[in-house]
Amino acid sequence: MQCDGDAVIKFSNVSLIYPQSTKTILEDLSCEIQEGEMVLVMGETGSGKSSLLRLVNGLVPHHTGGILAGDIVVDGISTREVRPGSLAHLVGIVGQNPINGFVTDIVEEELAFGMESLNVPHDVMRKRIEEVLDLLGLNSVRDRNIATLSGGEQQRVAIGAALVMHPKILVLDEPTSALDPIAAEEVLSVLHRLVHDLSVTVIIAEHRLERVIQFVDRIIYIEGNGETSIGSAEEILARSSLVPPIIRLGRALNLPEIGTSVREVRRQTSHLRELGTSELPSASTIARNPNSDVAIEIKKVSLTYGENVALKDVTTSISQGEIVALMGRNGAGKSSLLEMIVGLKHPTQGSVHVFGADPLTLTASNRRKMIGYVPQEPSDLLYLQSVSQECQQSDTDNSLAPGTCFGFLERLVPNISANAHPNDLSEGQRLALVLSVVLSSRPQLLVLDEPTRGLDYQAKNLFMRALKEYAQELNNPVLLATHDVELVAELADRVIFIAEGEIVADANTLEVLLSSPAFAPQVAKVMSPKPWLTVDDVISAIGPKV
Amino acid sequence: MTAPLHPLTLWIWALLMAIGVVTLDNSWVALSVVGVAVLLFLLRGDGAPWNATFWWSIRIAIAIILVRITVGILIGVPIPGNTLFSIPRINLPGWMPGIRIGGDVTLERLSSSVHEGVIIATMIILFGAASALTSPHKLLRVLPVYIYEIGVTLVIATSVFPQLAQSLQRVRNAQKMRGIEKISLRTLAMPLLEQSLSRSLQLAESMESRGFGVSGKRSRYRPSPWRALDTGVVAIAVALCSVMVMQ
Repeated sequence: MQCDGDAVIKFSNVSLIYPQSTKTILEDLSCEIQEGEMVLVMGETGSGKSSLLRLVNGLVPHHTGGILAGDIVVDGISTREVRPGSLAHLVGIVGQNPINGFVTDIVEEELAFGMESLNVPHDVMRKRIEEVLDLLGLNSVRDRNIATLSGGEQQRVAIGAALVMHPKILVLDEPTSALDPIAAEEVLSVLHRLVHDLSVTVIIAEHRLERVIQFVDRIIYIEGNGETSIGSAEEILARSSLVPPIIRLGRALNLPEIGTSVREVRRQTSHLRELGTSELPSASTIARNPNSDVAIEIKKVSLTYGENVALKDVTTSISQGEIVALMGRNGAGKSSLLEMIVGLKHPTQGSVHVFGADPLTLTASNRRKMIGYVPQEPSDLLYLQSVSQECQQSDTDNSLAPGTCFGFLERLVPNISANAHPNDLSEGQRLALVLSVVLSSRPQLLVLDEPTRGLDYQAKNLFMRALKEYAQELNNPVLLATHDVELVAELADRVIFIAEGEIVADANTLEVLLSSPAFAPQVAKVMSPKPWLTVDDVISAIGPKV
Repeated sequence: MTAPLHPLTLWIWALLMAIGVVTLDNSWVALSVVGVAVLLFLLRGDGAPWNATFWWSIRIAIAIILVRITVGILIGVPIPGNTLFSIPRINLPGWMPGIRIGGDVTLERLSSSVHEGVIIATMIILFGAASALTSPHKLLRVLPVYIYEIGVTLVIATSVFPQLAQSLQRVRNAQKMRGIEKISLRTLAMPLLEQSLSRSLQLAESMESRGFGVSGKRSRYRPSPWRALDTGVVAIAVALCSVMVMQ
């Protein structure tokens, strides 16, 4: 598959560096990608995945700058010779945040935009748009304003806008990172169909390997410092340091073969599922027994915006020392509930009490001492020119000894540079900085909105350690909204599941995650019907097997 | 009243009104034009995110009037007339004749500052209304292709302002939550600038990779038609403008 046939994309000795940066993004990358292949680009955050993707249609270096050596030939055309626009009929590219790339506001017009630019005749346009609307299941929303669509639908519109051009190659940058598990599944099954039915070549970058790994033919692994390795999923994952839970499970159990799908690993582990007792509660549920002091009390809360109901009659409470995950589909009301708890929104009805106080009435310094809040865009909080300035500011704000905040940060991410501008940090480093700033006031409650978007597995581990420490040592509650089931499985004690503004499940993590196949983590799927959510659960239940 | 207007209609209207107001130089007419702009906004605002631009333009306009009045009271050319009140006068060296700080504040002096402030504020509100009521996306699509590079720059410029208003709210909330006691321009500017810049770059990138400006001609899937209503609005504006210029 790799040698014969015409390559659609050919990288020859490609090296890339950006001026004013000492880091080499790519060095001497040579590879060929065939028609109808699905290739995953993986690497740590900030390792250059997006740059590699954008080399394919020449956005790098034509649009972003950067020094490029070597050549990339796409279907016989060198990207050096032409502007990205001239490859629009060959390469469709879907960015990380599709909403920022939309040029028009109506679904149909957005689909038409690229064809209009290339002066495609009207009747051809009509035909292709109908095709794409059917293929992606977008017919019911064709006249809707894009801003009102759900995340999954927006992502499909962005893919559709690329597909109407009938490209040979589709390039996607983290297409599922902002999506809930069900919407992610929809998007990935569409991609799978494109590859198999239409022989489109798909190149995809993704951090959540567990979502995509079973679909891909080959992996390009950017190892940092410009080194890359290319191979089948099994080859690369056998030795990479970034691996999804399913591979970690295989490694921990010393399975003879690397399995990338639930089915493959299940076949190899059937004998293990008979071991151990199924009644044994898993490790993560007995790890902490939160004492019964109630920290947050939410009583019969409703929230409406005009005619839209965001929350309906929500009643729950959160105790000291508990880590609670708030899950649910995009737009289910998770963020609204968080914003009410931190005092940004008034409930239309009902009451919210945080440590007995109404969060709306808190003054700035009391709020800082009581609630730590990490918003969806962590960089919203940062406003100074360097990491050290941010840390100093938060030391003075909280009258701490100079260096306290930076010390905490260094424990999270040891090699961070104090003089770096917050914008130049990687996603993981920036989250660590925001977390240090927020935690340095020692708040009694920590609230986080989608904290792990764009984090690789290593950054996620650091982040989990920090949160667990905070909850356990200080016996404080943590509340986080997230789509990341693997994170929830490892971290949370309890899950509150919201649908259409109502709580539909509120129980310990094990119970909630096992009751819905869409929200079950990989390990649980492999080990079903045993109630094990994580690799650690499995190991502690059956012991390491050889 | 919600029949769609051509994206250029309101911009043409704003431009003509602005020309009229400046030429006529009458605060009462200017204020009634502002009234019309507010009415138009209330009738046609559809809750789109860029609608927020209008309220910002009003705030900026009010700030401008206040600044102009303050400057008019403190510094300026003395205009004789009915003295309202006096403030202590600072003597300037002899080589700065005609300008003074402090002194008698006359009714005439005050009204001329108010007048100037109102005219400038009207300009801002007029264009604020036009940009708040026109989708920047649609505006872009009616631009001719041969000004490709300018087109891209314009999209970036027109999308920055409304998005700025959107981001502002989010950043303020986040900073309130950080417990920043004084949220000021300094704390807001950095995250805002960074966000709108990166959004605009992403938009430009998406347009570029989708072939914007590659072909000399553009086909239209759903053209924005120029309707009778558009002709009506522009005709009225032309008529009013000529009346104001002729006066």
